[in-house]
Amino acid sequence: MNNQPSSRKLLTWFNPLGRNPGAWAFILNRLTGLGLTFYLFLHLIVLGRLAQGPQAYEEFLELTKSPLVKLGELLVIGAVIYHALNGLRVVLTSFGLGIRQQTQMFYLSVLLALVGTLVFAIRMFAG
Amino acid sequence: MNNPPSFQYPTGPRPGETAWLWLVKIVTGPLLVLILALHLTVNHYLGSAHSGLMTYDDIVAYFRNPLIPAIEILFVITVVTHSLVGLRGIVLDLNPPRSVLRLINWGFGLFGLLTIGYGIWLALVIASKST
Amino acid sequence: MPEQWTLTLRLYRQKANEAPRYDTFTLQVNPDEYVLDAVERVWAFHDRSLCFRHACHHSTCGACGMRVNGVEKLTCITPLRAVTQNGAVLTIEPLRNFPIVSDLVVDMGDLYRKMERVNARAVLPVTEAEIEHPASTWNPEDAQYLRLSDCLECGLCISACPVAATTAAYLGPAPLAAIQDQGMRRHPELLPLADSEDGVWRCHSAFECTAVCPSFVDPARRIMDLRRQVVGAKLRQVFGK
Repeated sequence: MNNQPSSRKLLTWFNPLGRNPGAWAFILNRLTGLGLTFYLFLHLIVLGRLAQGPQAYEEFLELTKSPLVKLGELLVIGAVIYHALNGLRVVLTSFGLGIRQQTQMFYLSVLLALVGTLVFAIRMFAG
Repeated sequence: MNNPPSFQYPTGPRPGETAWLWLVKIVTGPLLVLILALHLTVNHYLGSAHSGLMTYDDIVAYFRNPLIPAIEILFVITVVTHSLVGLRGIVLDLNPPRSVLRLINWGFGLFGLLTIGYGIWLALVIASKST
Repeated sequence: MPEQWTLTLRLYRQKANEAPRYDTFTLQVNPDEYVLDAVERVWAFHDRSLCFRHACHHSTCGACGMRVNGVEKLTCITPLRAVTQNGAVLTIEPLRNFPIVSDLVVDMGDLYRKMERVNARAVLPVTEAEIEHPASTWNPEDAQYLRLSDCLECGLCISACPVAATTAAYLGPAPLAAIQDQGMRRHPELLPLADSEDGVWRCHSAFECTAVCPSFVDPARRIMDLRRQVVGAKLRQVFGK
């Protein structure tokens, strides 16, 4: 009888099927949060090269010119914008503000994250 | 079929999360939005108009302004705190045994302090190269 | 002559120590009947071994909560027309996050124990009702009249909540809403429970509870309000007011 609550139902956390926009917002928030935490520590490690002097750092800069790294950076930018805006949505609703508009605020967060990512993508690949 | 209660009330509420911890997350969040906007504008927008990434010389030049290392230090403190408190929230959903949770509390705390220390050291090292 | 639909009900079946399966039954229904009527008809005319909970048939007892095409519904007030169409297959499953007793029947004991633990009010003075009239329209003497609390204890919110899926220890939407309903100022003894790992901070603001609540509880709003109350109570503790 596998119907009891269980912390082993890990994948169901991330299953958006049959759920409402509020849960999609939560799932995306959790995924972007995990991704950004990973990126944060990667970012800090990589920046350690700054302490080793110009050569070590410029070597790393060469690496960032690959399209794959650029794509990763775009993902980070999209995740940052979404996590920030949705975070503000959670803060507002937690203080009783905009609870009736929470779905619209979620869609707006996604829209602005997509637009922001696009702007950066154009800048990155055109520049 | 006999289903015993699957929770332990009223043995007492589990103290793994409190208003203070939540407030830390909810205060560092909007603060981060502000600081991150500054961080992105200064380091990845003003810094280099082409690639979005600054060269070594760009960075060293920027760090001559004492406001920059101050922003970066504030950034590393808030972002590390927010990310570890958030990560701990996810860990709570895995229902770790109390002993593991205690280990995680100390581990995350120590790891956070070390990371913040490293971030501050890095900002100061770069700032010192500017002088 | 009322409108007739042909509907295939796909019902979750599971008895003790058996693997779950789905049985299908094709019925003639009036689309203005309710989902519970269709389930009842399967029991009456097709399979007497089908187990499901129901009592009042008018959204007061909270017994007939099921998942209809994956979404939590109080089946006695969910018209077939609202969830399906003529010729379609309608999947009906038990609520999530409760142990299955038999077929569509789940053991809701945990929820009832939690409601007792937080001293949830079954009735409250009409003057405190949030729905019909604003507080200012009541006379003080009206407080002697009681009304039933909005919460039916139907468990739909627990079934829909993504956090309740991770642990039975989490209080969940209905009990947290019941704490909010009583208020931290009047019931400071509930503060340690609300301000705990299994209380108000465990909610991740998915708003699923409010989306499925068949009554006027709006648990998500109440949980948010309880956060404000808990923070207020903690600050009062610190500053000694």
